[in-house]
Amino acid sequence: MLKKIYALFAAGLLLSACSEDVMDRINKNVNDPTQVASRYTLTDVMTSSAFSVTGSDLSFYASTYVEHNVGVYNQMYNAEIRNNEPYASSTYNNNWSNIYANLYSLKGVITRCSEGGAEAGNSANLGIAQVLSAYNLAILTDCFGDVPWTEALQPGVIFQPKLDKQQDIYAAIFKLLDDGIANLGKATTFASMGTQDLIYGGDKAKWVKAANALKARYLMRLSLRTPNYDGVITAINAAFSSAAEELKFSKYDGSIAISPGYAFFTDRDYFGASQSVHDKLVARSDPRDAIFFAKYPGASSLLFAPNGTPEQKQGIYGVNAFNYRATSAGSDEVSTANKKRPTYMISYHELLFLKAEAYARKAPQDLVNAEASLKAAIAAAFVKDGLTAAQADAYYTANVKALFDADPLKEIAMQKYLAFYQSESLEAYNDYRRLAAQGVSIPLANTKPFPQRFTYGSDDVTTNPKVKEAYGDGQYVKTEKVWWAGGTR
Amino acid sequence: MRRFLSLLMMVLFSVGITNAQTKQISGKVFSSDDKNPIPGVSVFVKEAPSVGTTTNIDGQFTLKNIPANAKALVFRFVGYQTQEVAIKGSEMNVTMSPENQKIDEVVVTAMGMKRDKKALGYASQDLKADQLNKSGNPGLSTALQGKVSGVDIKPSSGMPGASTRVVIRGARSFTGNNTPLYVVDGMPIASTSDFSTGNSVTGADIADRSLDLDPNEIESINILKGQAAAALYGIRASNGVVVITTKSGKGLAKGKPVITINNSTSFEMISRKPDLQSTYAQGSANNFIHNTSMSWGPKLENLPNDPGYGGNTQNKYTKLADGSYDLNSHKGRYYVPQRATAGLDPWVVPTRYDNIDEYFKTGVTVNNSINLSQSTENGNYSIGLGSATQKGIVPSTNMDRYNARAMAETKLSKEWKTGFTMNFVTSNINKAPGANSALLGTVFPAPINYDLKGIPSSVPGDPYTQINYRSLTFNNPYWAADNNTFNEKTDRFYGNSFVEYSPNFSWSEDKKLTFKYQAGIDSYTTHYQDIYEYGNTGKKGSIDNYGVTHLGFNSLFTANYSMKFGEDFDLNLLVGNEINHEKKKKYDEFGQDFNFGGWKNISNANVVTATENQSKQRTVGFFGNISLTYKNMVFLNATGRNDYVSTMPRGNRSFFYPSVSLSWVLSELEALRGNSVVSFAKVRASYAQVGQAGTYIENYFTKPTYSGGFWQGNPISYPIGGINAYIPNSTIYDPNLKPQNTVSYEGGFDLKLFNNILSLEYTYSRQNVTDQIFPVPLAGSTGLSQLVMNGGKIHTNAHEAIVNVKILNQKDLEWNVGVNYSKIDNYVDELAPGVESIFLGGFTTPQVRAGIGAKYPVIYGTQFKKDSQGRILVDEDPNSDYYGMPMAGDPGVIGNCSPDFILGANSNFRWKNVTLNATLSWQKGGQMYSGTNGLLNLYGMSKETSDRTKEFTYPGYLSNGQPNNIKRGGASDPYAYQLLYSDILGDVDEAYIYDMDFVKLREVSLGYTFPKFRGVNVSVSAFARNILVWTKLPNLDPESSQGNTNIGGYFERFSMPQTSSYGFGLNIVF
Repeated sequence: MLKKIYALFAAGLLLSACSEDVMDRINKNVNDPTQVASRYTLTDVMTSSAFSVTGSDLSFYASTYVEHNVGVYNQMYNAEIRNNEPYASSTYNNNWSNIYANLYSLKGVITRCSEGGAEAGNSANLGIAQVLSAYNLAILTDCFGDVPWTEALQPGVIFQPKLDKQQDIYAAIFKLLDDGIANLGKATTFASMGTQDLIYGGDKAKWVKAANALKARYLMRLSLRTPNYDGVITAINAAFSSAAEELKFSKYDGSIAISPGYAFFTDRDYFGASQSVHDKLVARSDPRDAIFFAKYPGASSLLFAPNGTPEQKQGIYGVNAFNYRATSAGSDEVSTANKKRPTYMISYHELLFLKAEAYARKAPQDLVNAEASLKAAIAAAFVKDGLTAAQADAYYTANVKALFDADPLKEIAMQKYLAFYQSESLEAYNDYRRLAAQGVSIPLANTKPFPQRFTYGSDDVTTNPKVKEAYGDGQYVKTEKVWWAGGTR
Repeated sequence: MRRFLSLLMMVLFSVGITNAQTKQISGKVFSSDDKNPIPGVSVFVKEAPSVGTTTNIDGQFTLKNIPANAKALVFRFVGYQTQEVAIKGSEMNVTMSPENQKIDEVVVTAMGMKRDKKALGYASQDLKADQLNKSGNPGLSTALQGKVSGVDIKPSSGMPGASTRVVIRGARSFTGNNTPLYVVDGMPIASTSDFSTGNSVTGADIADRSLDLDPNEIESINILKGQAAAALYGIRASNGVVVITTKSGKGLAKGKPVITINNSTSFEMISRKPDLQSTYAQGSANNFIHNTSMSWGPKLENLPNDPGYGGNTQNKYTKLADGSYDLNSHKGRYYVPQRATAGLDPWVVPTRYDNIDEYFKTGVTVNNSINLSQSTENGNYSIGLGSATQKGIVPSTNMDRYNARAMAETKLSKEWKTGFTMNFVTSNINKAPGANSALLGTVFPAPINYDLKGIPSSVPGDPYTQINYRSLTFNNPYWAADNNTFNEKTDRFYGNSFVEYSPNFSWSEDKKLTFKYQAGIDSYTTHYQDIYEYGNTGKKGSIDNYGVTHLGFNSLFTANYSMKFGEDFDLNLLVGNEINHEKKKKYDEFGQDFNFGGWKNISNANVVTATENQSKQRTVGFFGNISLTYKNMVFLNATGRNDYVSTMPRGNRSFFYPSVSLSWVLSELEALRGNSVVSFAKVRASYAQVGQAGTYIENYFTKPTYSGGFWQGNPISYPIGGINAYIPNSTIYDPNLKPQNTVSYEGGFDLKLFNNILSLEYTYSRQNVTDQIFPVPLAGSTGLSQLVMNGGKIHTNAHEAIVNVKILNQKDLEWNVGVNYSKIDNYVDELAPGVESIFLGGFTTPQVRAGIGAKYPVIYGTQFKKDSQGRILVDEDPNSDYYGMPMAGDPGVIGNCSPDFILGANSNFRWKNVTLNATLSWQKGGQMYSGTNGLLNLYGMSKETSDRTKEFTYPGYLSNGQPNNIKRGGASDPYAYQLLYSDILGDVDEAYIYDMDFVKLREVSLGYTFPKFRGVNVSVSAFARNILVWTKLPNLDPESSQGNTNIGGYFERFSMPQTSSYGFGLNIVF
């Protein structure tokens, strides 16, 4: 009997060593949370949208194509001479996936803050998530054209999402912005994001302004297809009233967080100073010519790199002074300001340029307001670059006004192009393509084929036959424009 | 379980008791080799050794007064195997086999079961201590090379403590573990590294935990190759099992303790080094450039005439303050700016330096061990101490390992037995990095004109500002060896104790019941440090402290029952339970951006991040084994095991794995017995199923990181200004995960012919692996990057053969030759929908991957541009710089890694007290990526680039299908070679793919055993390892590569080199 009890006891002990509950306990992940409040996720979407999506590779390649920089080494050299990189699916893959990762994080936040979610009623965070979704989605379709959206973001459920038309994606972008604005206007009992909001510190009103700014940008983007210049102006009037309110990421402290342009220079050093930007500035006697470029650290003089035909060499050509600049002549000390340069997601000066263009384009044309906006825009751009509004004013009167009078749209485009030098090359690339479709050309020096778009990311090309088919051999980027620039996809 | 036990009890108690009468037995004893009678054999009763006699001149004996309870007679004679023969009738004729002709080899199989080798229905191969330790190899894995079939052993390099990958019968997992389970003295222990080298293109190698085993303490190893052999170990054994038995004193003559002292000392040198050009100096396009990595400069003797640096020409170095030039003071010399920086006279006469030979040192390996063993009336014990000290051939690399062990077994009574074994090991390894962090990246391609050793590696008075011959993408190798640290330190304890109970029911001797309970632990801590000192690659350096604390607990209960029924049947039953529980804590403290040099501590770093990871894992298994033997001729074995695994998702944790095997000894058939040709013949077949569990973790959030891509460090580290953030982890886990399943079929035969002179074993096996678990890459548009799920199929066909020939077999003259042949073909059949390949390691291109329809694994990268017939096309544009040169095409598969076959050959020769042994390896086929060879061409340093003046026609084709006829090079086209090697081939990964066929003399040893003197046995030996390497791979030893993962062996780029060893050994036994 005793033996039997003992045997039973032993057997019970053994079985309890492997019961499902015990095994669940053993397998419990004690290292990571399975749920976090939405504000912690939104924090990184802000950082990532600024640093990875807007500020890094997409911007670096775009700056080569729009000639803000000249690629003089390795990948950027290849981009410069249009060899391999503009056509390869690996080129933009990191950002392709970064954007979708952001959208996936945001989808989680939206679900969490919507009806039935753990933070149902957190309309502020819901609104911020919608605005950031619109922002990421727009960059995605602007760069890549038709992309997976309605079937995207369902890992483990849909492995091969289909592509949606850019036109439909833009409809989704406007809906996200409108919903975001509406939600940000609602009262909520949830605490504000506060310091977790690295951009606006939880200020809902500023997010509403940012949403309107984006709306203005995207309305203008579709002006070839569905012009709505009054809509642009209305949106701008509801957006930033000063540079203090613009949507930018300025948490770079130079050690924990480093500005991407500076990090790219120190880690890779693939860019030379652009001859064509220099020429444009010289043609306008633009005071910014003195501050845009610096000689290569340690070099004896400032040598500009010819666009499209540089030698593949490091340490020779001058550099973009906003990435790396000697604090004093002859010194190789790094300007600490450059480690901390903010990433502009949509700037105050951009809005003013948009406004100028909208006035110049609307019917009836309003050149008075267009010129006033352009002057204000140039002034804001000058201040951003460390110059003064007075210098801008003098410059306008002496060197710009005549050009504006001769061809307002073209000069607005040119001034915007120059103002975007530093970290807004991606938007300059979008503008370049839209304006070209609308008949306004910014002259470029590189005679090699201009990439009309960015190739799909290899993470999809290698696993998703629908994207693979759209990618083909990658040569489509030479000729096929995106829908808003007059293309079909 | 409980029901089974009670059933077992019933069977046991129902067996009756038999009785016998006093007996007299007579008979004759023969020798098996010449069939002649053996005189002088001692014959005695097992149960009463005092009752005995010896055979007469005709081999005859008569034994009287045999007690009633006697069951067996023992026959013992010097030089022959002792035999126990069950008493049957009154006439017994016995055949004895010489010691070195063991037919009934006993091997330790799964769960410690000892079996006659002939009873096994599957292939297994066992090695004894003397086969392992012939040449003082401190690593167990590499000591096995060339000695077993079906096993691919790939050392990563000759660096002390270098990882080695052991894979039995091909891979079963794409990205996961393919290495076998190690079971030491009945307890499974950790043998793999807790940290992977990841993409394996940065940092140093990471040692695996099998390094902790000291080969000197091993008595025997049995390799259970197939799943049928290993099935009893369940889910952890799908990659085969290495069953290790350590020295225990068990086999020794009872009484006196035996002390064994061993020493081996060896000296290492680089086994193969690049053959370099010796004509051209640093520079490009025939001009000297003092800081380029390229050696496409002028001829060495023309340096004084160089327009930029020559003492004979007008340049900025010969320019005087007044604007004129001094062309007299430096005649015949040239200016070396690095010497100026180092405070030396910058003007030197061109001199040729052998930078490679100056860099490597002679390595030294010393192994010492002492062992005390004794076998007593009631038990046995063994105590051992060992040390292995290695200094590598690369400065700053070394290893110190100390092992201590004790084990004892004692009989408490007739029924109870207990014992324990304890092992302690501590090791300290200093390593050096490869690939992107390579130390050798500036040794092999150092320009012939640069005095790498003579010019200081740093600025005088500023040890953290390097002086190098090139840009600091790569460090000065002297500076890096002095300043950077790659260290690992391990302390480990493992061991177990057991209690065995064999109830002494008054059954007949034919029945035996044994219960055994064994509990063991495997506990270790490893601390790693990867430190790039301030000034590394001209930057501020970083430190990574990481490590693991591991505790494994193993509980094993078995009940074993054996009986005979009838005259012809033997039955053995085993049931058991095993619980394996593991706890791990890993930590990682990363700091970057040191304030200043000389203080390599995390407190000196400005940006510090830290993570920890704690995990637990449990496997509970219930198993049973039935062996049935018919007439010592047919052996049937069946096993079943049910595992419960904690790492799988709820509801999918329980798995059952069966196996069945059959061995039929044909030579026991009446018709074949006594056959003069066939001494032994056996056929065997088996079927088994074993799985591998995956890891399931509920979806979670994680702190984002920003490394990778264009970034060299971490441009963003949370918390930013005290603010943290958490996003969904980019890898998720399928909640419906099933275990990956391996079904294996195996068949083969064992033959011994002509009186055992020739023996032959052959095995064919087929493995079908389905539902492979791996992180399936997701489309980026899903928002995440990987889903751990079932999604792949792979199959393996393996042929293994072992041939042994006793060429000479006399008392004073013996010569055996053996060959192990393995042909393992591993094919990827299927991957998850949409997935064409799986990344295993390497760069964006080239990389090592698994691809559908291809042998596993392949190398993927940029190909040559080819025509439809696969011929390399050349550029036909006469205006192009690259006219007549090959072109880069699309990326694709550029290399097949796996060899056609591998073959190991052993020769063992003995004349009296002198032995001469040799082991040879031959690998046929197989390709690897050799970054070193490709880059030596690119830099213009390889011998291949010696000729830069002759006209050449690149061996390609024109688009019209005609062979290329475009001539390049010659006096009018002086830079054509540089264009070809540097600009074109440098961009084509396919140009870096090389065949790696090789033949190696792995071990040679010459030994002499002195005649026994005053009870002391002394033997000495001289040995050499890894000498005479012949290989298709130019310049390097193919057994030097990157990574401790599944890319190991196939991907090389300035990897740590392999070594050759020469040494001697001393063995004293008293």
